[in-house]
Amino acid sequence: MRRGFESMLQDKSGLARYATYAVALAAGAIIWQLIASRTNPAFLASFTATIDAIAGMVQSGALGRALASSTLVYLTGLGAAIVVGISLGLLLARVRLLRVGLESYIMVLYATPMVALIPFIMSMMGFGFAPKALVVFLFAFFSILYNTVEGARSLKPEMLEVAQSFRSGEWGIWRDVLVPHTLPYSMTGIRQGIGRGLVGLVAGEFFLSGTGIGLLIMQSERDFDVPGLYGSILVVTILGVLLMGIGRALENRFTAWRGLNR
Amino acid sequence: MSAQDASLSPPRSGLRAWLSPEATARIAAGIAIVAIWELAVRLWAPAFVARPSRIVAVFPAVVTDPGLWLAAGQTLGAVVQGLAFAVVLGTTIGLAIGRVPAVERFLQLYVSGLFAMPMVAILPLLTLFFGYTGDARLATVVFAAVFAIIINVSDGARAVPPEYIEVSRSFRGSGWSRLFDVVLPSSVPYLIAGLKLAAGRALIGAVVAEFYAAIPGLGYYILYNTRTFKHSEAFVAVAMLAIVGVLFELLLSRGTRWLLPWYRRDEARD
Repeated sequence: MRRGFESMLQDKSGLARYATYAVALAAGAIIWQLIASRTNPAFLASFTATIDAIAGMVQSGALGRALASSTLVYLTGLGAAIVVGISLGLLLARVRLLRVGLESYIMVLYATPMVALIPFIMSMMGFGFAPKALVVFLFAFFSILYNTVEGARSLKPEMLEVAQSFRSGEWGIWRDVLVPHTLPYSMTGIRQGIGRGLVGLVAGEFFLSGTGIGLLIMQSERDFDVPGLYGSILVVTILGVLLMGIGRALENRFTAWRGLNR
Repeated sequence: MSAQDASLSPPRSGLRAWLSPEATARIAAGIAIVAIWELAVRLWAPAFVARPSRIVAVFPAVVTDPGLWLAAGQTLGAVVQGLAFAVVLGTTIGLAIGRVPAVERFLQLYVSGLFAMPMVAILPLLTLFFGYTGDARLATVVFAAVFAIIINVSDGARAVPPEYIEVSRSFRGSGWSRLFDVVLPSSVPYLIAGLKLAAGRALIGAVVAEFYAAIPGLGYYILYNTRTFKHSEAFVAVAMLAIVGVLFELLLSRGTRWLLPWYRRDEARD
């Protein structure tokens, strides 16, 4: 049901699906071009001008450098969020009292818009790599932790009791009960974290110090380079779609473990 | 608390509820968090960094400051207005995508693409269209919220059991009646799930727009106070945003239970 949006197209063969996508994309491009030709170019760049701008950014190497710099920030923050989020979540799954004590605070932090912390981070850590990676971390971390703790909550105490009755050691409990039960929930968190982390990346690059793909967007705005603005936003959108696809694939790969009663 | 937690500890009331190990753990954890925060800031951070004792000290002054309430009203006003707009627009487009295959084929790719796009990236474009004004914030809120609603409503419209449609047809119900009496009501739980997701995104959108375009509101209040090294004052505004985020979350999950007691599954997207 989760994938209801795509399910109708998944029934068809892959070829028909891609043909539909291609037609929709072509139609969109034509409509874009037609509207742009009747609008003030200071507000709307045409499709062809946008593609030209992207090609220009690729040729000059600006896009490659921006993506490399952004990727480093993003992967550092996201990687740290995944490692810390899952380990802390698993610990909370094992120590029930700790989980009961902390889960309401985790829920509050999960619902807090983390963007609001960016000005604090700026005046405490200044500019540079670390504050931006921290922003990505904060955006992604609580989704991962929150969902892992949700998984821990749904772990039936009987399962641990059975494992203990069969004289399973601590290592066995982690390997055979805790990790397999909780990991699929963490994957939902990671999928959310991938998306939120990207928002954090662009927000960090906008509001902390301009680097990477965020700088590319802001620079084209300052230079009144409208095709460049549309081009760099299009690149970020494609990045978002790719990352969300990866997140979905990861989540689906692991939700099979959860079985029917997820 | 989940049903499973409730089954572990029988329901208590009054004083005994406060003395239950769960409540004790919660309070102890809260005290520990505040203590660690206070200590860490005192030991390692510069004096202007927010810490619990200073927040308590400035709290009365901040809460009686009309500027804070004005800012909160501006931000929340934009969020609520934007969400209302996004619900109307999102439900209309969502129903069209869910029920009309041609619309789905054309729009699906764009809707999921724009949903996946980090909304901060659209800010320069929206300020280009709307100027550095409150309209840009409203547009950011709508943009941040609408795709979550479209996706969920279209999932809901697609998930209407075909028998319902058949019954409506057999009784010679009109197309409009089918839409408003069958498809729309059965999509409402999905709409609420979408709204839950959209509300969180809308709040982020409003704050981000205020940062980017210096529009007066809670986000700008935070930005201004941190820049003048009044971190504890700014933190009160962050706490307000957190409370609003949690309230949205609670209101919508409780709301589903109150308004739609017949709905049990929780399968919409997040």
